[in-house]
This record gives sequence, structure tokens and C-alpha cells, in this order.
Amino acid sequence: MNAIVNSPLFGIFLSLAAFEIGVSISKKWKHTLLNPLLIANVLIVGFLLVTGISYESYNVGGSYISVMLSPATVVLAVPLYKQIGKLARYWKPILAGIFAGSLTAMGCVIAVSKAIGLSETLMLSLLPKSITIPMGSVVSEQIGGIPSITIIAITVTGITGAVAAPAVCKFCRIKHKVAQGVAIGTASHALGTSKAMEMGEVQGAMSSLSIGVAGLFTAITAPIIISLL
Amino acid sequence: MRIFLQFTIIVAICIAGEILHRIVGVPLPGNIIGFVLLLVLLCTKVLKLEQISAVSGFFLNHLAFFFLPPSIAIMTVGEDILSQWPLLLFLCIVFTIITIAVGGRCTQFLIGRQECRENKQEGGDK
Repeated sequence: MNAIVNSPLFGIFLSLAAFEIGVSISKKWKHTLLNPLLIANVLIVGFLLVTGISYESYNVGGSYISVMLSPATVVLAVPLYKQIGKLARYWKPILAGIFAGSLTAMGCVIAVSKAIGLSETLMLSLLPKSITIPMGSVVSEQIGGIPSITIIAITVTGITGAVAAPAVCKFCRIKHKVAQGVAIGTASHALGTSKAMEMGEVQGAMSSLSIGVAGLFTAITAPIIISLL
Repeated sequence: MRIFLQFTIIVAICIAGEILHRIVGVPLPGNIIGFVLLLVLLCTKVLKLEQISAVSGFFLNHLAFFFLPPSIAIMTVGEDILSQWPLLLFLCIVFTIITIAVGGRCTQFLIGRQECRENKQEGGDK
């Protein structure tokens, strides 16, 4: 049995099966809280804990899938490229808004972590939580955080954005469509963008554009900010 | 649709990113350098979207799956950190709301200021 469990096929099978279940559940009930990644994560962690199979055994196969994280990040340039023409006349406010949002996201993490005495590792793991997962996980690793915590924090952030964005925009009287899109994409990456697309075409395009820009900006500034602390 | 050529291009860009990071010493993770490289190649028309669209579409449509294995590493995180999850959940939610509010208000304020300035200029021209 050990030979089976330690074969790469085991981790790959478990990942595929769990993700398929996650996608099916989220499609069936169509609720933002039912995120396929979170469901699959809970299923696999639960399965490994119940059977006593180690994370190392799972990751023999899992690491084959993780290798694809690099091409998955690179192709994020495609949606940004498709939207870049839409910057047009508002390019200055849009870029400035994305920078302000990214700095706010990181500033909140640092300020509150220092105030309530959160551990250094946790603070670094949460720092890139507003950007898209493939970028956030490598930034987390680079600055000394724990990528798995970052990935889950990013997912929670994205779900929050998708659920709360329309209400926050209304409450804060953010009425301009471009501003709504920039806010959502900067704060809650692709998960939030799905909601922005429901709000309208302009919001969707701006949100999509903001994902890549916010990711790049955070990747550049996070290590600099950390070195200043 | 030459799928192997498309995949070769994308992986070559990944490797170029790693070279720039590890050997040349650019202080950004290799895959983020790769992201910038692809954006530059597309914007300068060196690479056409059709030359990579099948592979990029595949990854973009199934992006979340590739993060599943790294997320399972949460099992190996110490109890001292995991026990703080209610606080972390709360912080993630609050920070996201603040970020949306600040990002949106800033953008809206700057758009308003730009429009105001443009209107004045138009008025001056007349």
C-alpha cells in the first residue's frame, strides 16, 4: 500500500478528484462561499488526516501540479494585455488608485500586526493577500511568509470582495464605474472580478486590468516595505 | 493551433524569467518577471495573442486547480498559528473592505479632479 500512496499518481488522483467535487458542489449551489479551491482543500486535508497518510506522500504527486504555477502566472499577462487599451484617458487615476489600494492592503496588515502583536511569519504571510494567488504565493515565499497560509488568506479575501463589493461601493458612495472596477480588482483579484463583471462591462474590464497591475506593484514594493520596517 | 509550440513559448518565457531572477539577479520572483516579459512581447507585437491563446486560455480557465497542492501545505503549519484562524479570518474580511473603500474613493476622487480640470480647459478654449 505504501508503494501506491507514495507514487506520484496518488497525489495527482486525489487533487483531480477533490477539485472535481469542489467544482461540482460550487456549480450546483452557485454560492460564492462555496469556493472550489476551499472545498477541495478541506476534502484532501480531511482525507489525509483520517487515513493518516502524510502530507509528504500526497505532495509526491502534488508537486507535479505545483510546477504549473509558473506558466499559470505568466499567462496572467494575457487578460492585462487585452484590457490595457481601456486605460486610455483615465490612466493616471486608475494607476494611482491601484497603487493606493495595494498600499492600503499592505498597510492594514502591517499596522494591525504590530498593534496586536501578531507573529512576524503571520504578518509576512498575510502581506500579499490582496493579489492573485500565483503571484501572492511566490511573494510570500520570497519575503519569508508561509505560502499555504497566503493562499488561503487570498481565497478568503477574494470571496469577501465578491460578496461585499457592491455593498461597500454603495456605502462609501463609490459610483464611478471605473473606480468600482479598480477597487474590486485591486482588493480581491480574480474572485472579486467575477462579481465586478456582473456589475457591468466597464467594472469587469477595470477589475481584470487591476489584478495584474496590483500584483506587479505588490511584488515590487512588498520586499522594499519589509526592509524599511 | 500548434499546441506544442504554444506550450514551448510559455515554458521558454518561464525559464527566461528564472534566468533573469537567479543568474542576472533581478529582485522579483522568476514567474513575475515572466509575466512582465509576456506582457512586453504582446504589447510590442513580437508575439501575437493567437500564438499562445490556446495554452493561456487553458491555464486561465483552470487557474485555481494549480494552487490546490500548495494550499495543502497548511497541514504542516504549527498548531500555534492554526489556532489563530478566527482572528485571521476576521482580519482578512475587514482589510478587504477597507481596501475596496480606499482604492475606490481614491480613484473616484482623481477621476473627478481630472474631469474638472479638463472641463476648465475646454471652457478656456472657447
